[in-house]
Amino acid sequence: MDFPWLTFIILFPIAAALLVPVIPDKDGKTLRWYALVVGLIDFVTIVWAFYSQYDINESGLQMVERYAWLPQIQLYWSVGVDGLSMPLVILTGFITTLAILAAWPVSFKPRLFYFLMLVMYGGQIAVFAVQDMMLFFLVWELELIPVYLILSIWGGKKRLYAATKFIIYTAGGSLFILIAALTMAFYGDNFTFDMQAIAEKDIPATMQLWLYAAFLIAYGVKLPIFPLHTWLPDAHGEATAPAHMLLAGILLKMGGYALIRMNVGMLPDAHVTFAPVLVILGVVNIIYAALTSFAQRNLKRKIAYSSISHMGFVLIGIAAFTDLGMSGAVLQMVSHGLIGASLFFLVGCTYDRTHTLMLDEMGGVGQSMKKTFAMWTACAMASLALPGMSGFVAELMVFVGFATSDAYSLTFRVAIVCLAAIGVILTPIYLLSMLRELLYGPENKELTAKEALVDAEPREIFVIGSLLVPIIGIGLYPKILTQIYDATTIQLVARLRDNVPGLEDAKIAAALEGATVQQAPPVVDRF
Amino acid sequence: MEAIYQYAWLIPVLPLLGATIVGLGLISYNEVTNRLRQANAVVIISSIGIAMTYSFALLASQIQGHAPYRYSFDWATAGDFHLTMGFVIDPIVSVMLSIVTTVALLVMIYTDGYMSHDPGYVRFYSYLSLFSASMLGLVISPNLVQIYIFWELVGMCSYLLIGFWFDRAAAAAACQKAFVTNRVGDFGFLLGMLGLFWATGSFEFTEIGERLSESIANGSISAGLATLFGILVFLGPVAKSAQFPLHVWLPDAMEGPTPISALIHAATMVAAGVFLIARMFPVFEHLPTVMDTIAWTGAITAFLGASIAITQNDIKKGLAYSTMSQLGYMVMAMGVGAYSAGMFHLMTHAYFKAMLFLGSGSVIHGMEAVVGHDPVLAQDMRLMGGLRKYMPVTAATFGIGTLAICGVPPFAGFWSKDEILSSAFHANPALWAIGWLTAGITAFYMFRMYFSTFEGEFRGGDMAMRKQLKLATLPNFGPGAMDVRELDATSEGEDEGHDDHHDSEPHESPTTMVLPLVLLAIPSALIGFLGMPFANYFEAFVHAPGEVVPTLAEMAEEFDIVEFGIMAGSSVGVGLIGISLAVLMYLQRKIDPSAIAKKIEPLYNLSLNKWYFDEIYDALFVKGSRRLARQVMEVDYRIVDGAVNLTGLATLLSGESLKYFETGRAQFYALTIFAAVLGIVVFFGVS
Repeated sequence: MDFPWLTFIILFPIAAALLVPVIPDKDGKTLRWYALVVGLIDFVTIVWAFYSQYDINESGLQMVERYAWLPQIQLYWSVGVDGLSMPLVILTGFITTLAILAAWPVSFKPRLFYFLMLVMYGGQIAVFAVQDMMLFFLVWELELIPVYLILSIWGGKKRLYAATKFIIYTAGGSLFILIAALTMAFYGDNFTFDMQAIAEKDIPATMQLWLYAAFLIAYGVKLPIFPLHTWLPDAHGEATAPAHMLLAGILLKMGGYALIRMNVGMLPDAHVTFAPVLVILGVVNIIYAALTSFAQRNLKRKIAYSSISHMGFVLIGIAAFTDLGMSGAVLQMVSHGLIGASLFFLVGCTYDRTHTLMLDEMGGVGQSMKKTFAMWTACAMASLALPGMSGFVAELMVFVGFATSDAYSLTFRVAIVCLAAIGVILTPIYLLSMLRELLYGPENKELTAKEALVDAEPREIFVIGSLLVPIIGIGLYPKILTQIYDATTIQLVARLRDNVPGLEDAKIAAALEGATVQQAPPVVDRF
Repeated sequence: MEAIYQYAWLIPVLPLLGATIVGLGLISYNEVTNRLRQANAVVIISSIGIAMTYSFALLASQIQGHAPYRYSFDWATAGDFHLTMGFVIDPIVSVMLSIVTTVALLVMIYTDGYMSHDPGYVRFYSYLSLFSASMLGLVISPNLVQIYIFWELVGMCSYLLIGFWFDRAAAAAACQKAFVTNRVGDFGFLLGMLGLFWATGSFEFTEIGERLSESIANGSISAGLATLFGILVFLGPVAKSAQFPLHVWLPDAMEGPTPISALIHAATMVAAGVFLIARMFPVFEHLPTVMDTIAWTGAITAFLGASIAITQNDIKKGLAYSTMSQLGYMVMAMGVGAYSAGMFHLMTHAYFKAMLFLGSGSVIHGMEAVVGHDPVLAQDMRLMGGLRKYMPVTAATFGIGTLAICGVPPFAGFWSKDEILSSAFHANPALWAIGWLTAGITAFYMFRMYFSTFEGEFRGGDMAMRKQLKLATLPNFGPGAMDVRELDATSEGEDEGHDDHHDSEPHESPTTMVLPLVLLAIPSALIGFLGMPFANYFEAFVHAPGEVVPTLAEMAEEFDIVEFGIMAGSSVGVGLIGISLAVLMYLQRKIDPSAIAKKIEPLYNLSLNKWYFDEIYDALFVKGSRRLARQVMEVDYRIVDGAVNLTGLATLLSGESLKYFETGRAQFYALTIFAAVLGIVVFFGVS
């Protein structure tokens, strides 16, 4: 039998976490190196495993491992990846490793902190990799606990309120997952938790709608979707930089991933009904959160709302019923994972110096922190979807994918595209005025009198640099990312389109004919 | 010959490499890189120098009649959808490449002198190089998406460079305003692009044009919708080329260092809008309403800019409004279908306006020796005067630029402007009339600028005037700036009054600054001869795709001396009237300008306050969006979140009560879930 790559990837950090209590850590430095090395090993393993085992031309599950765990209740340890989960697993390994590096200055209860970080590492990957509904529910719940603890122990002043709100929201949401999962498992002749088997069950349309709604609430909390988003600014407002990076970089993506995996993949009929709702919620997310972000005076809350705003594009892309839209949605998740993590890390760096998050108390910070200034500018540009960076490609793909979608009427598409494009104006307004109030202008004398504004240290530059490399890399040549999940999303959309009445393939061909005709093979042609 | 085309992508990549090397140096070895100062400049200047040589080689090859060259590769794919990128070299591209690289090279040489004492010298060079790379990338783009990409990138470079002196509140406000205003235009551009792609399935200019006119002809797309898409795309150039009503960012952009005002906000980036219209010509020419909109937008902008430029006292702001006005001419030319004329004016304007801006920079550099590093004082023409004595080369080149922009024959501006005006006359005499009137105003304000800067007595020592200028600017902080800073500014202003000892006389700028001026004077004076109506080499080379252009011999034959005489005579005539007025008012002082200003005070104030656009936009959009944002936040906080907190309270209460009723909460939890599941399964199983 082959080496169980995925199981190893999930269990290795968790096993390593169990050793944390016994590692000698006299000078307080051994532990963080230990965590970092574990993170790196796991990340390298992820990359190597996918590089050597994964075939990007296959659309189905790969590297599947299935062991009976509690066969009596049909619980299997079943993991596997397809194009949907694989990029997110890589993202998780990448961001979590960087988050460990970002946590370098943590001195309060380091043992518990690194233990939780490593448990999170495995738990998050498990969410993306497991292929069993019951197991999914378990890991989904399991990964909440470390986040709750990290929030409530290392957070800001109102950390308990924020952590409680977080746990009520997400645990409340996962109740719906459990109900829906059990319903789906029990339905029909065979009792099974296996996701693929469930996806093949022929669930009646009305029931699909209920199940869809249940999942939508659960994942809508996580993504988050308006009006279920209010836990996020509170949680973000109180979290520390590493927790931020995980929240924005990975946890929000779980919502999007699960939406695609379950709502779209398992309940295609209901998705057809719900898709317009998703689109409208997406637009509301984009505009509403952008406006709220503009009005926020607290740096962390500002960025938190900008995260919500960006997730709106994921919703629109999922509901576009085109290859391009779905591809854009996945790309937006990965891209925002990188960009959101970088922005929140910078907030942390800035807070370490200014000890305030209120924009009114800052100003002119850029003068003594020139490198931080440069990094802020680069990441803000990435976030406002500057071409040449990943966010732009993702948003453009969603825009084009939705505009050319044949599943909606022309009027609806025009209205949605126009509204979503307003986000294109609003994003630079709040991000650039944030930069202006934070970094530009004459120095705020009250601030400089109190705090020593030291410029970024090499570790911080390294973290941002590592995040910017893929951001710019994807922005310059998006194919490096899109090609690794393309097969899966195409297959997913094809399956979806079969369920939309009145959408024949001939029509798609006609709609896309232009695109294919235009694209002669990439050769040098003279005329 | 093929090889030089294959590697044409090097033209934007070389400056990009330069920027990357220096930028990485700045980030990783800041002190060392900054200490190397001119070594960085040499790297960057030589990279753009090579790009320039390359561009000229391509231009030469194109002039010899080499076929256009195109290269593309798959950039992004999803299923059947392929998005390609690549580059294209054809006559208009080769001309644009040559213009951009020459101006960029000269501006970079100039920068060495202008920024020599600035601590951000190296950073400035890396930004300049990054901008050049983006601009060159824009020029060689073969399709709409790629243009959009570089369009945004030049916008970002413009943002970085306007905000270069980031400790100044005004610069911080200006760079944000520039970016956001441009995003408003890009919003339209993006929507138009998506619409056109939906309608035609293509991002290529000629294909969009062909398919769109086909679709309109066979009725699958209504002409109204196609027009809407066209106008949306045109919004991009409206913002980028500072056309009415999105022109407000350009004058504020003068907060950036002068070299970038010359390169970005006069010669290249703002002209990108005109270039895009030229590229989109195959699409627009089938849509008469779009063409009319373009023409009228251009005409209104030309007049608006000129009417504001008359009263400006800041030399750079005056030039900025003049740029806006000249861009209006180019856009108008495009709108009336005078493709070559518009591009020709773009070229002549790039040279003479770059020179004028660099000249103004030289003046400011000289003034700074007297009044100190304060843009309010160093750029105000009320403190200048008589500078010709101190800076003869600057004065001479500025004079040539002034003559060129005023359309005095035989300088460059005469030929290009005249061509636009005569095309406008054939399209619509009303457009011509606006252009003609604007030409007169242009002559007036440019000579007003020249006389108040270089002639008369030097007024830099006038302390009363300095104080008055300083006080006048105090409340003038950027929108949204914190009021606290105003206090600082007052005290700083007072400090500066007596801290350092300045010279009493300005001086001529160093060679690195004067040399580019002289080199730019040559094309400003002579390049017009390429586009004489009876021997229009330019039109024979650069013309709209598909347009049949007469050969040079035919041109000479068709040339109507009488018509040319009338057209040229009238525009030169109105120019001379403007110049004479300026002579009487600002050179000989026979007419008192302030007396006239008093007589027509409402009009004077309208012009001085820039037609109150900033105030109106501030009240409507800036304040409006802030208010809206605050309201949305209130809603979020009180209603959306408030509802949740209430539910939280409710669950807490019920939880508390449960505690008393039940001891095993987990069992209850499990039981509820089980009941729910059972209920659902039974319900659907039965139905």
